Amino acid sequence: MNNRLKVLRAERDWTQARLAQALDVSRQTVHAIEVGKYDPSLPLAFRIAAVFGLPIEEIFHPNGDGG
Amino acid sequence: MANTNESTWVDCDTTPRDRRNQRRVTTWALAWAGSVLAATAAMTWDWLPAGAGAVVATGVVLLLGLGTARAYWHFLRQADELRRHIEMGALAAGFAVGVLGGMTWWLLAQAGSVPEMDFAWVFAAMLLTQGLGVLVGRRRYA
Repeated sequence: MNNRLKVLRAERDWTQARLAQALDVSRQTVHAIEVGKYDPSLPLAFRIAAVFGLPIEEIFHPNGDGG
Repeated sequence: MANTNESTWVDCDTTPRDRRNQRRVTTWALAWAGSVLAATAAMTWDWLPAGAGAVVATGVVLLLGLGTARAYWHFLRQADELRRHIEMGALAAGFAVGVLGGMTWWLLAQAGSVPEMDFAWVFAAMLLTQGLGVLVGRRRYA
């Protein structure tokens, strides 16, 4: 699954640590999601969407659908 | 209460809650391991009164073991989801080594191909594999 987490975070000038704190996860989790090593659970994906104020489909895309 | 200082998220790749729960698991595990060593020594050198002494010592070891298991269960339930993912993978690897490796060795021992092995070695291999699995998992997602 592809995602725009890194771009969205950069647009807000947030560090990985700040986003991790907002999501109540480790910085390692944010990093792993950003680089595509780990796909978040549905509850975490919803929390990410809520933090950025966007629908999930504007953040996460199936592989091959760059969005 | 969760630590809201951002630096705690920067300095370590675990959340403050995970670090707190991990310390709890470690404390319980050390107490359990200490009780196993003490009970083993007491039984080996006859420090305990015959009969009831060994039963009481085993009961203490069991209680501390249950406390360790409960603390680990609590840690897993509250863990950061990537950490839980890593821990579950490591547990699966430890289980595979213990059950599959142990059974394979036991069958070979029955056939006389390898020497008999004490169960404690199987248990140690499970724990070692789980520990290595956590380290490998954390490096993999770093």
